[in-house]
Amino acid sequence: MTSSTRRLDPDRAARVTLSRVGEPGDPRLTGLVAELGALTVLAALREQGARGQLRDDHAARLERVDPGAELERAARLGIRFVTPDDEEWPPALDDLAHAPCLHERGGPPMGLWVKGPARLADLAERSVAVVGSRSATTYGASVAAEIGAALGEAGHTVVSGAAFGIDQAAHRGALAVEGPTVAVLACGVDRAYPAAHRELLDYIADVGAVVSEAAPGCAPTRIRFLARNRLIAALSRGTVVVEAAIRSGALNTANWAAGLSRALMGVPGPVTSAPSAGVHQLIRGRGALLVTNGAEVLEAVAPAGEHTVPLQHEPPQARDLLTPEQRQVLDAVPLRRGAVTAKIAHTAGLAPQRVEDALSTLHAAGLVERSDGRWRLAAGPRLAVAPVG
Amino acid sequence: MWASTRTVSLQGAVGHVVDVQVDVSQGQIATNLVGRADASINEARDRCRAAIENSDYRWPTSRRITILLSPADLPKRGPHFDLAIAVGVLAAGDVEFPPGALDDVVLIGELTLDGRLRCVPGVLPMAMSASARGINRVIVPEPQINEAALVPGVEAYGARSLRQVVALLTGAEVVPEAPPVEPPTGQLLLSWRGEARLEDVDLVDVLGMEDARFALEVAATGGHHMLLTGPKGAGKTTLAERLPTILPDLSPEESLELTAIHSLCGALPSATPVLTRPPFRAPHHSASRAGILGGGSGRVRPGEVSKAHLGVLFLDEFPLLPSDVVEALRQPLESGEITIARGDEDATYPAAGMLVLAANPCPCGEYHPYRRDNRCTCGEVKRREYRRKLSGPIADRIDITRFVEPVKKHELRDKLARPESSAAVLARVTRARQRQRARYDGTPWRLNAHVPGPLLRESWPLDEAATQRLDKEVYGGQLTRRGATRVHRLSWSVADLRGLAKPGLDELEVALRLRSATPLDLAMIGGAA
Repeated sequence: MTSSTRRLDPDRAARVTLSRVGEPGDPRLTGLVAELGALTVLAALREQGARGQLRDDHAARLERVDPGAELERAARLGIRFVTPDDEEWPPALDDLAHAPCLHERGGPPMGLWVKGPARLADLAERSVAVVGSRSATTYGASVAAEIGAALGEAGHTVVSGAAFGIDQAAHRGALAVEGPTVAVLACGVDRAYPAAHRELLDYIADVGAVVSEAAPGCAPTRIRFLARNRLIAALSRGTVVVEAAIRSGALNTANWAAGLSRALMGVPGPVTSAPSAGVHQLIRGRGALLVTNGAEVLEAVAPAGEHTVPLQHEPPQARDLLTPEQRQVLDAVPLRRGAVTAKIAHTAGLAPQRVEDALSTLHAAGLVERSDGRWRLAAGPRLAVAPVG
Repeated sequence: MWASTRTVSLQGAVGHVVDVQVDVSQGQIATNLVGRADASINEARDRCRAAIENSDYRWPTSRRITILLSPADLPKRGPHFDLAIAVGVLAAGDVEFPPGALDDVVLIGELTLDGRLRCVPGVLPMAMSASARGINRVIVPEPQINEAALVPGVEAYGARSLRQVVALLTGAEVVPEAPPVEPPTGQLLLSWRGEARLEDVDLVDVLGMEDARFALEVAATGGHHMLLTGPKGAGKTTLAERLPTILPDLSPEESLELTAIHSLCGALPSATPVLTRPPFRAPHHSASRAGILGGGSGRVRPGEVSKAHLGVLFLDEFPLLPSDVVEALRQPLESGEITIARGDEDATYPAAGMLVLAANPCPCGEYHPYRRDNRCTCGEVKRREYRRKLSGPIADRIDITRFVEPVKKHELRDKLARPESSAAVLARVTRARQRQRARYDGTPWRLNAHVPGPLLRESWPLDEAATQRLDKEVYGGQLTRRGATRVHRLSWSVADLRGLAKPGLDELEVALRLRSATPLDLAMIGGAA
């Protein structure tokens, strides 16, 4: 179903035009479109003779846009334009209308340019953003890949950028287990940025989806990365920051996740590690949930009870199952040279009769042994779990 | 009558040219051998006598024979003195040699009772020391002719019997027939050879582990010692075995050096004796002290540390090694050679291989601090004891420490992974080693890991910012002085890999992390990993 085979819907045409002329996430446009509709806003921009900052900013670009031709050109590259009228539109993106702006960027996009076979709404239904620093360590990359793989195996989509470091590691972890992934770009989806990730992006476009708010051909500018980050946060149920220095772009994504009331998670690193400092700040100051593996991420984003992680603990030891009184007696039993019950009772500060009872229980558990009427600690491993009465 | 012949006595890897002087004169009938000869040389009297008689020569039975091995104060070992003694006795007796025929030739070989020659260990180092003394003609048992001929400028002659040697020395036109000499090594009874397996390994088989792969590359570049820790089956051995595949071929003089050591063990194949590839030795942790460090009864034989000279010595499960062996490893780690001191004899062998230590996290190898499926059965005390062996004096002498994690399922299936082949890494290592060779031209050093600290700081410092940062680490107590030197050397190796004129802050940072077992940044490894 390409644009050339159906009559171009005026609202769709207006959104294509606005996507081409407006900067991604410019809140002046996204706000007006959310309130008045794309057609009205476009008409106002085109009004002859009228002046105003918004019109002046866009006048030059507006002259040269032909939405039909735009869509046709995109279709030839295997790119489609998804608007809120489409079934494929992920409803989660509408939450952006209610989230506060960051860095003067915000609001739902005009539409999304999408390359890839997967239906965007399906991908976004169960999805987690895995983001972090480009200058990640091997530790961060390894954890990101592990989380990506765990999410992929559970059928959750990994949403991320396409940068070096955490982004690519998360994608590759998911792709390795044939999990769905979405790469959200700051440039047009026909471009590969960074160029070294051409193969990765082609692969994602083959099995998942490569998505951008910027029209095909657009360059990745700094401000577009900030706008892009809000889409990563909005397209997912929660955001995991794996490694981020104090001034990392990943923290911007985290702020969007917080602004959208999505789950915010952080993977800790060594406290001395600069690439983890931003994450630690998120956990300390912004209440991000500390997660250490994919299972814990799933527990945080999945519907209650679907992916619960059992609490970890060491295998119980025989001593753990003793009553305080029995432990008190055990502590009083000598290691090598045995002692008689009365002596142990004296050391433990307990009545001999109760010590007698405790010792027989300890004896049954194999913790103490008796020879010639004297008690001492049993030799050998004390790791076995024994029933204690 | 009096005559003098020459041979070589070895003390460790040091050879001395020895004169064998024989005097045959009137007097009480006796055969005396003087000059600190060991038991095997003393037995030479009987071997030589029988060999001479059975070669249809005459042993001067009714005379007094004095044999002096000179210099007299040098202890001498080995059966290879036979040939020089026998020829000396003949020359002092009734065989006429042309004048000067015995002056500039070294005679090496053991004799059998019927006058044939037998192979002896150490022919190559003997030929090397003869050549160093300006004696360039060497007569050796026939199968060892290739070994002796490895030394540039040396004319090696192979002989099968005493009669052939005499014919050679007298310039006889007809060389008498003799049955061929047995090759030096015993015949291998099994067709399976574990080493053959190592010929096919390649880094391309190693998935993931970018961090450890990079560490391996840096280690290969500068010849740095390395410690790999990680649970059982994580791939520590897999990595270590591939280290030789990224080491360049030995230079002619290096290969001579290494071949000389292996010649002392008597273990060279006679057809292709010269070793051109860096060796890989992996003794089991139950190997004896003498086996690993050198020694043994009688002659002081080179141990595994010396056999791995210029290559890789891999000690798996290193904390299980006896602690006296571990302690004794300190010297080779620091100085690249090992001295085995005995009552009357010090033997020093080169031992400048790269040491790769591998250690499990605990004796059973299952311990993992963060795993929920932790199957370790060791007690905490046992674990602590085991870990204590990792730290201590050896750890301070290790340049690179890496934690190796088992490859994860998703890494095995990563379709976008493109592991590099050994050949690609080898090309980079070779370039980086050429830079070192050029830099250290005119010094005895070839690799960053071997350059002494004071000289390094003096002649090849880090750049200003990096020096300040390193000093800060030392004053802050995070590094010892020795540690700082090691980090300094490592920084150079990273800079050489990157083709930089001088190590800067980033190279220092990589070095600090490699040393402190801290994960590297992906960008440090090469970005697109």
